[in-house]
Amino acid sequence: MLACRGIQRGAWRPAAVCVRPFATETPTTAQVTPSPPPTSSEVGEPTTRPTPPKKTRASLHTAIILNRSPLLTRTPTPFERAFYAYQARIHRALHNPFPYDFYFKQGSPLETRFNIEERRRERKAFGAPFGTVKLEERDEATELMEMSLRDETDESMPRIHEADVKNDLKNLNRKGQRNLYAVLRTNENGKDVWRLPTGPVQKGELLHVSAIRRLGDECGRNMDTWLVSRNPIGVYYPPKLNVTEPEAKDVVFFYKAHILAGQLQPKQSRYQDFAWLTKGEIRRITDDEYWNGIKDMLSDF
Amino acid sequence: MSVAAAAASVAPAVRAFRKPPRIRKSLKYDQHGLPIPHVDIAIRDIAPCRLREHYYTTLQDDLMYMTYVHESGHRPPPRQIRLRFDPNDPYSKNRRNSPVGGDQLGRKPAPVSTPQTVVQLDGIVLHTMQKDAINNRSSLVGAIAAFRALSGETENGGGRSSRGGVEIVKGKKAVSGWVRPGLPLGCKVTLKGPKMYDFITTLTEFVFPRMREFNGIVLPPASSTMRTPSGVAGVVSFGLPPEAMGLFPQIEVNLDAYPKPIGFHVHFITNAEGAGAQNRARALLSGFQIPFARK
Repeated sequence: MLACRGIQRGAWRPAAVCVRPFATETPTTAQVTPSPPPTSSEVGEPTTRPTPPKKTRASLHTAIILNRSPLLTRTPTPFERAFYAYQARIHRALHNPFPYDFYFKQGSPLETRFNIEERRRERKAFGAPFGTVKLEERDEATELMEMSLRDETDESMPRIHEADVKNDLKNLNRKGQRNLYAVLRTNENGKDVWRLPTGPVQKGELLHVSAIRRLGDECGRNMDTWLVSRNPIGVYYPPKLNVTEPEAKDVVFFYKAHILAGQLQPKQSRYQDFAWLTKGEIRRITDDEYWNGIKDMLSDF
Repeated sequence: MSVAAAAASVAPAVRAFRKPPRIRKSLKYDQHGLPIPHVDIAIRDIAPCRLREHYYTTLQDDLMYMTYVHESGHRPPPRQIRLRFDPNDPYSKNRRNSPVGGDQLGRKPAPVSTPQTVVQLDGIVLHTMQKDAINNRSSLVGAIAAFRALSGETENGGGRSSRGGVEIVKGKKAVSGWVRPGLPLGCKVTLKGPKMYDFITTLTEFVFPRMREFNGIVLPPASSTMRTPSGVAGVVSFGLPPEAMGLFPQIEVNLDAYPKPIGFHVHFITNAEGAGAQNRARALLSGFQIPFARK
């Protein structure tokens, strides 16, 4: 409104500010940006003013960074494990005395069991003289409990999935410690390239609505997803996708989404293949141009 | 390569520690006859922390995208609001002199969205007030014992001077016939670091799923204003009923040992501040699987 009032007062303001359509709408022919009034330096020049170049609207695209967040905690490095083990030993050596009477009835099987397990932990932390019982102090209850404990085995789940062994790039359980991203193989200008799911924004459509539609259109409806934000998290200007209109510029807005369940089912007609890859793996299969556009939006780990 | 072989190849066992060095000089002893170590011993993390890792791998990025507010250029300086009384007048010099139109407590602007201002959890405070303690201060013992079991915190625990342990909360001012200053009324404990994340894990995996008729932490109605001091502070608070105490596994094992179940307040302290801080703090907690619901 301010700009409109400005025009009435006589000060020059571009009319386009008043009635500028949304970026997603196509411009109407009636709105022609008025050329600015000649300034003092221009007055003396010949009157054949160059016509302003025909403005073409950028064609908007949205892309989805479909993320599978880590399922496992990171495996600690040898240094970290040594550090944790050392700190745990200090912790064990200095902890307050455990109030047995508060937690167990005297001589209950639960107490016997706890004592055995505690001795084992002690022996594991500090070595043989610790956590061992003298022969004369052993009683029958302890022996019986040790017999029953012998059958119990605690096995931790493997931290490496079968998909890692088979190198199955489509399995969502691969690389449980890393952030994975969905990439699709498509044909672009006659070349086979890997791209994040991308597509054009329709006329009059909001960007985040387009991003949600993109999930269904490009990635299939066989999954539960969550779009993190209505704000795009990044932008990329691809080098001339559209060959017929050399002036037209393409803009790709990236949105982050999480996959919660299901699996990708990209359109067979547009995409030949898909894969769940880490950032480093995406680096290996994309060209430098595209990689420089997307690398800062992906998690290193 | 089998799965087991692949797993083994990734995780070599931690090597046993070397033999401790030969003792050349005996340690000094304190007045209790206990040896004084020649270094300050402080216990750091003893295991990787699952929820903290979740925050740094997933939540932090998502929260930044969710709470980002785009601003172009510099912010205009804050509007100078005239004070109610002339500050140069000797009469009003050291008196309360708030700006015209009330104080601006609930109107504090949010900090500019940067990677440094992404909301993060600083600590958790558990707090309870026991009414019986006014007449009988020994009734606090049960609450203190419960808090010690819940938090695992002790004063200067692990050689960390920042650890306060379970503290007794005393009355601040006199309420006639009820509270006197210095009267012990309740207790509180502050959790930080891995223990704070362990508490959230216990809460979301053992307590909330087993609480009856619990749909989530009840939010105030949508129409209520956020321009309150609590609305612009990143502290999310809620109360747990006495029945919830028995659902914590630390207490469940010997619930009979405690005189009576106590209810307590839980305050999640985040670094969020300014307009919308309460909502940003809730978004963070929601990422830790703490449910919120409207009535």
